[in-house]
Order: sequence, then structure tokens, then C-alpha cells
Amino acid sequence: MNEAVVATGVSKRYGETVALDGIDLSVADGEVFGLIGPNGAGKTTLVRALTGTTPVDGEITVHGDTPTAVDADRIGLLPQSFSPPARLTARELIDYYGGLYGTARETAEVLAAVGMAANADSWYETLSGGQQRRVCVGIALVNDPDLLFLDEPTTGIDPAGRQSLWSLLEELADGGTTIVLTSHSMTEIQRLADRVGLLQGGQLVAVGTPTELIEAHGGTSRLVIDTDRPAAAADALGEADFDATAGTTAVVVTGVSPVAIGDAVAVLSTAGIEYGSLTWSEPSLEDVYLQLTGEQFAGGGGTDTAPMPAEATATEAATPAADPGEGAK
Amino acid sequence: MSRLRRVRAEATAAWHSFLRRRTAVFFTFFFPVLLVVIFGALVRTQPTGGGLFAEPAAYYIPGYLATVVLFTPLSRVGSEIARHRDDNRFEKLATTPVGRAEWLIAHTLVNVAIIGLASLLILGLVVALTGAVVPPTPRLGLLIPFIVFAVILFCGFGAILGRLSSTQDGVIAASNTIAFPLLFLSDTFVPLELLPGWFAPLVELSPLTYFARGVRVLTYEPAIADPYGVKLGVVIVLAVGFFAAGAYAIPRTD
Repeated sequence: MNEAVVATGVSKRYGETVALDGIDLSVADGEVFGLIGPNGAGKTTLVRALTGTTPVDGEITVHGDTPTAVDADRIGLLPQSFSPPARLTARELIDYYGGLYGTARETAEVLAAVGMAANADSWYETLSGGQQRRVCVGIALVNDPDLLFLDEPTTGIDPAGRQSLWSLLEELADGGTTIVLTSHSMTEIQRLADRVGLLQGGQLVAVGTPTELIEAHGGTSRLVIDTDRPAAAADALGEADFDATAGTTAVVVTGVSPVAIGDAVAVLSTAGIEYGSLTWSEPSLEDVYLQLTGEQFAGGGGTDTAPMPAEATATEAATPAADPGEGAK
Repeated sequence: MSRLRRVRAEATAAWHSFLRRRTAVFFTFFFPVLLVVIFGALVRTQPTGGGLFAEPAAYYIPGYLATVVLFTPLSRVGSEIARHRDDNRFEKLATTPVGRAEWLIAHTLVNVAIIGLASLLILGLVVALTGAVVPPTPRLGLLIPFIVFAVILFCGFGAILGRLSSTQDGVIAASNTIAFPLLFLSDTFVPLELLPGWFAPLVELSPLTYFARGVRVLTYEPAIADPYGVKLGVVIVLAVGFFAAGAYAIPRTD
């Protein structure tokens, strides 16, 4: 398979700050590559480097050319914090950006694809934040690019809008479009990306398919059992060879397969321990993110090895939690 | 055709954006009107007396036109560049086929249209309110290239200001700081005789001087065989130079 993007030894400094530190990366034709990492990790700088909008040290080729020499009709970009002219309608904006290319998709088709057909004649400044972002995604798609760079495309978009954009991106990927996507939404990356790169401190600290990364860094599955007697529950489960840790109102059992949940429940019943809700979760990309970045949720939970001192913490860590970056948006 | 398509798309977007900013539209046309009303109709010229407005009314037509030819492109293009940079629009445009010169051509065309309309308004008002006599000779048509190339010149200058200033406020402050002295020290409102002798060479350095003198020959002294062609030539050469420098100055990367 041909490489759409190849970066070798890419570095970038802003004064004393190292934004990118020797990045080596390749993205194959037709691949969806997700870039994740904390704020300031270098995701946006890397996108700018790959699109030729910031000068960097190192070597980058896009479709075999340098980023500034590549045929612009083949490239689509949605920059982070991008705002088009505010007093043009959604329709006019798609027309405008489409007019900058040799050929462009039909405006009505683009508006429908991003779910903006009903608001096509509203000024951009009167649209909600999510609707504005959808128009921006439409602008990035208007030239029907072979290679699409999307820097946090779903920021501010409501869940329904996000789902429809994900479906749109999946259609594009199915049609062979190469997509480089940055996001703070691990759900988004896990759903869309064929491969994921995790940036931290300007370095690409892990690259792989979501499955590979989860297997390598995501820890194990987790069963959280609400009970009034967590210590007793942990003891009983421990005697039955379960890896259990007691919190204040819950016991957390790690490494439990779905078929073993019944065995754990049977142990508690045999020991006469009453329990409330059961929550089982597989490790996810979010666990990988937290493990590799060393970050934790504001609630204090976090990696699979962290103790569960309180019910709230146990619940947050055990259930599919909100994306780590969502609260800051 | 592709280049035409890109310039048309950019110019259409810029034109609609301008027309929908009502405050900008109002002040773009209200400012020169205010100037004509205050100086031409209220203060009035005193051809037989002394002081600042001692020349006949038509003498000041280049000055009134210079207000829009100078201020509007400097502030509009400069602000537009600052706005584009704030909104990451150049980052987006850098990945499209549109070039920096094409972008500046599009925005210059919009300014030519705006300033052309404002100039017509000014000419009409000066004639109607001040009694200025503008001889309707064929060469009056040369006002068009004078205005067009002066707008190109100051659009290029505005692009340079937009590149050098980091904010829209900075662009406005810088353009006012540059335009205000240029307006009064370029043989527009203030005749050279009122200025110290040592200052005269500096007047020759102002691009606006050649616009003002050329326009004056066309609108005030049509009988004088002044070489307005040379003045137009200077304006054209400066326009080409400033446009090229302005296009080069437009940001492409961070």
C-alpha cells in the first residue's frame, strides 16, 4: 500500500519550547490515523507541519511531494479554532471555498452531508457552536479531497451531530479517503481510527491500532460491585482467586471475563454478602491514554491499578466515562 | 479560468462580508461626506483671503478623494489580514490553490468598487455643496486609472501593515498614524507654500503626492499643460511595487 504521508525526524521549537521532537510517522493511503494527546502535546503543530503551514526541521512528504508542493485540490484541512467569514451564510461559505478549487462538490450535497441543509441560509455567526463546526467540516470536504486533515472536528458538536459526522467520516474512509484526525474524544478515535498515535511532550510515544494499544497499555477488564460490605466482599472474592480491591461502597474486581461474572456473584451469594448494581467494562483507548500520559480524571480515579477509595471514584473508573478532554471544551 | 474562478470566489465573499457590516459601510461613505460638509460647506474656502483654505473649492478635490483612496484600503486590507490571521483563515487558504497575489487582487477589486462609489459621491457632493467647477473634458476620464492604481498602491501598503501588526486594533492605530500625516502633507489640503521650505523634499517622497497633483491637473487646472501622464506613471509604478510587496507580505504560515 502506498504511503499518503511520511514524516521523518520532524522537529519544531517555539523559542525554548519543544513542540515536536523527532516525529517519525507514516499514514497509508486510505487509512484513518488518529492523533491523541494532552493539550499542548503537539497535535496541532504536527497537523500544521504535515499540511505545510508551519516550517519544521526534518522531512515530510505528502503523496510523494513536500507539503507545500502537493496538489492542493487533493488536500482538505479543517484547522483548529478556524472561523470563516461570519456574515456569510452556510451556503455561501461552501460556495466560496468550493470556488477556490478547480472542481468542487455540489454545495447542496455538502450541506446535506454535514446536516446543514435546513440552516443553509443562516449567517455563520447566528449558528450554534456545533452547527458552525459542521459548516467548517463541510468546508474541509468541499473539494472532495484524497487526504483530509481534521483538527478536532467535532469540538462543540452535540451527540447527535457528532454521530452523524462520524458516519460521514466513515463513509469517506470507506470510499478511500485518507484521514488524519486529532481529537480529545477517545470514543471518536476508537470508533474511527485504523491506527492511533499518542503524542506527549512533542514525542510520539505510542502508535498502533486501537486494539494493539489497548492490549499493550489498557490494562484488564473491570467489574465494579456496589455493596455495603466491600471489605468482606473483597476477602471472599480473593479467596476464590479473584483479583478484588475494596473501596468504601464498592468492590472492584479486575481481569474478569464476562462469563466469570456469574462465578463472582455466586461467591458473594455463598458468603451471604448483599450487593447492588454490577458494572463490567473492558479496557478502552481512554485507559491507554490515561496510562501513557499519567493523567487522571478530576474525580481521582484513573488507571486500572489505582485504588478505589470511594464509591464515586469507583463508579467513574469502572463505567465508560466521559472523554478526558470534554470538560475543558 | 481557474485563477479567475478563485479570484471571483474570494472577491464575492469579501464583497458580501463588507456589505453586511453595516457600520463599516456607513462610515466608509459617511467619513468623506462629513469631511466635504465640514470643510467644503461649513468652513468654506476663502480664495481672496489667507489661511489654510485660501484656494478655490475645486483645488481641494484631490484632498477629499485622497481621504477614501488612502484611509479605506489601508485600514480595510490591514484589518482583513489581522482578522484572517486571528481566525486561522490563512492556514486554511494555504492548503487551497488560491495564491497570495490572487487573494490580494480579490480584496483590491472590492476596494476599487467601494472607493469608486465613494469617489463618485465625493465628486457629486463637492460640486453640489461647494460650487466647485470641474471642467467636463475627456481627460477627466483619467481620474479612473488614478483612483484604481492609487487604491492598488494602498491595498499593498495595507497588506504590509496587516502583516506587521499583530492585532486588528494595531492595524487601525498604525494605519491612522501613517495616513493622517500623509493626507495633509502630500500637496492635498495644504499647499506647498504653507509648509517650510526644508519640508518640500519630504512631500515628494509621499506616494499620495503624485495622486493629488495628477488629480488636481484633471479636475482643477485642465488648461495647464502639466505632465499628468508622468504623475500617473509614478502612481502605476508605485502601485505595482507596493502590490508585489503586499502580496509577498500576506501570511502563509505561522
